[in-house]
Amino acid sequence: MSVISRLQFKGISKVFPAVRALSDVSFSVGAGEIHGLLGENGAGKSTLLRILSGVYRPTAGSVLIDGRPVMLNNPVAARAAGVAMIHQELQQVPRLSVAQNMFLGHPLTRGGIFVARREQERRAAEALAALDPTIDPAAPLGSLKVAQRQIVEIARALLDRARIVAMDEPTSSLTPSEFKRLAEVIARLARDGVAVVYVSHKLDEVFGICQRATIMRDGVVVGSVDLAQVSEKAVVSMMVGRELAQEQHRSHASSEVRLSVRCLASATKVRDVSFDLHRGEVLGIAGLVGSGRTELLRLLAGADRASSGTVEIDGKAVKLSNPRDAIAAGIGLVPEERKREGIVPLRSISNNMALASMGVFAPRGVIDHTRLKRVAAEKMKRVNLRPFLLDRPIRLFSGGNQQKAIIGRWLAAGTRILLFDEPTRGIDVGAKAEIYHLIEELAAEGNSVVVVSSELPEVIRLADRVLVMRDGTVAAELDRADLNEQAIAAHAIPQSETQAGKAQGHRAGA
Amino acid sequence: MTDITEHTAARPRAEFLHRFSVRDAGTLIGLVVILAVFGVLVPGFFAERNLINILQQSSINACLALGMTLVIISGGIDLSVGPTAALSAVISASMLVAGVPFPLAIAAGFAIGLVCGLLNGVLVAYVGLQPFIVTLGTLSTYRALALIYTGGNPVLGLPAGFRAIFNGSLFGLPLAVIIVAVVALIAWIILKKTPFGEYLLAVGGNEEAAYIAGVPIARTKIAAYMISGLLAALAAQILIGRLGAAEPILGNLWELDAIAAAAIGGASLMGGKGSVVGTILGAVILGTMRNGLTLMNVQSFYQLLATGLIILAAMLIDRVTRGRG
Repeated sequence: MSVISRLQFKGISKVFPAVRALSDVSFSVGAGEIHGLLGENGAGKSTLLRILSGVYRPTAGSVLIDGRPVMLNNPVAARAAGVAMIHQELQQVPRLSVAQNMFLGHPLTRGGIFVARREQERRAAEALAALDPTIDPAAPLGSLKVAQRQIVEIARALLDRARIVAMDEPTSSLTPSEFKRLAEVIARLARDGVAVVYVSHKLDEVFGICQRATIMRDGVVVGSVDLAQVSEKAVVSMMVGRELAQEQHRSHASSEVRLSVRCLASATKVRDVSFDLHRGEVLGIAGLVGSGRTELLRLLAGADRASSGTVEIDGKAVKLSNPRDAIAAGIGLVPEERKREGIVPLRSISNNMALASMGVFAPRGVIDHTRLKRVAAEKMKRVNLRPFLLDRPIRLFSGGNQQKAIIGRWLAAGTRILLFDEPTRGIDVGAKAEIYHLIEELAAEGNSVVVVSSELPEVIRLADRVLVMRDGTVAAELDRADLNEQAIAAHAIPQSETQAGKAQGHRAGA
Repeated sequence: MTDITEHTAARPRAEFLHRFSVRDAGTLIGLVVILAVFGVLVPGFFAERNLINILQQSSINACLALGMTLVIISGGIDLSVGPTAALSAVISASMLVAGVPFPLAIAAGFAIGLVCGLLNGVLVAYVGLQPFIVTLGTLSTYRALALIYTGGNPVLGLPAGFRAIFNGSLFGLPLAVIIVAVVALIAWIILKKTPFGEYLLAVGGNEEAAYIAGVPIARTKIAAYMISGLLAALAAQILIGRLGAAEPILGNLWELDAIAAAAIGGASLMGGKGSVVGTILGAVILGTMRNGLTLMNVQSFYQLLATGLIILAAMLIDRVTRGRG
């Protein structure tokens, strides 16, 4: 590594009215280095990235690129200085073509008037060739998968001749094979001398692709470590500031059948799903993205309508034509996309909690706010909301605390069957452990829980039993005793793909 | 010890702030400033008679703006309030002229308002059309129906008894003002104290999340448009009572004043946000501007300019103070 770092943060502080978000943050990233940036939500990672990409200006300190201090007063200046930012939520225009998106904001023109569309597409194709040649620069961006759209963002960084690429949670919605592809792309960037700052909650990924990492907590750098020299456990305790106890799985499942699903199917993604869910049981549902897991949960929550099949609760058939039916039957969904399907951002924690049980709080048509507040205080204490501000708009809380409020919503509504879709997506390590605890407590109290998750360790940690879904149906049922990542993966991968692979192997062999 | 006293002292203030939001306080300050300016510039501006005048002149817009606020909170908009009022007015008026008893004629006017709102709501909630386009379409449709029904002529000669109902006064206040004040109180209770109010805020704030949480989306939206239609009909009754005649072109551009009052009062056209107190203050601000400028003999062109600038100023202040309660 050269003596002068490609990117150096020097004593960066950022003070907002009433909040000190960063104080004296210093670390450096060399050319060709992939540097992990780790920390819980609120540790200051996003603020630091925003300073790097010119959205915020630091209160004190400076950013050095190739040893020279740079003024990153706005996003355009940051881009000119060679910084490219790849956001968690992709900032693209789906209706425009891939090439148009790559040249968004500074299109190639003929004579400064007409957009040189062909030329843009040619240059876009050049940049994409090295990363993913299957992407058509003329195709509308919206027709691409999320993983490919991410590659487009990276190609755009290449076009800009970025010297520094910052990635904020790039893999939160990628499948393992897509992640592998992304990892290769990132490695290629690094080989070309780009300094990569990689923010992720997934420690295994950071350990897999980064050489070094800086860990932040409460706005300060706890330390920069060489990842070859430290354990994941050590990094986690640096992040949360304490040792996280490794919890053992404990089953509370009884033999009493709570929910019985038979031959359930939807018009599109789900076909012929049958299973039983017991009282006090945590049932895991694994499978690839697109295997019909989310769609199955939506059918059970009444959010989508089943085309055939039956659902029984405690032996009685129930009709689930809309979420109200499901809630009346005691089923509640904690959705995957919290911002889109979970929270009403401007409303308070209390009001968000009460939304599903308004009838209970307003028996005579007028809301009993005293009672609502009391129940909110009780439920939010139960889920350990932090900070404990029940009247504060929910959008000002971290993802983990928003999730707790949504769980509280179902507790208040007297739900006995909770459906979790990716319960800890976008939630930091500390809150993750709390959510796991909560799920176990709910089961211990006799509730039944379904957990859909792409993170196999999560499924294995929580589930008493696992259904593996493939192509819209249950491909396998695994008991606790047979539960391991290999077994799940073996059942989750579509048969057609492995057969096609074999066939190709044969041809290659012949 | 000091801790405890601080706590008890802080409590009621927090409660009060909770009831009266920072945004509403801002609108109130705006109104006070405008009143003060006119008080200095216009002799006799603060005379009781003139203040009552302002309230009376604001009452029809306030009535419409309350319905508009509920619709805007639900994430929609109702451009058809003026024509809804016109249709309601001409039908009530022609019944009155034909000698139908007052209560029946008024009820028929209200029913027209509810039906107009129902149609808007069904097209938005069940058919899934965009509120702006739906109500743009019904704006023309309802207006055309009013014109066709009357052949374009005003309905004249409303019975004196009917006119007396809406021209009376109570405790020295015009009845129209009192009616609108009662409507405002009901709207405030609906928004703050009923599940329907919470559902409006949730549907406008995040429809998908509200759906998953079991909120009856379609019913909530339709109810908002029906209330808006009903309040347009009420405004129509007040107006024809005052004028003694109903014109089919009545209520032209009312929707814009109503939207302006709601927006000045803090309603967001993105949905999920709005305040009854703010809307009333917004309507009074617009009424005060008109009253004051007229008394100053300012040409109507400049009155229009002033109204425009007030709306823009309110939005700028909104933008600057965004996210602070």
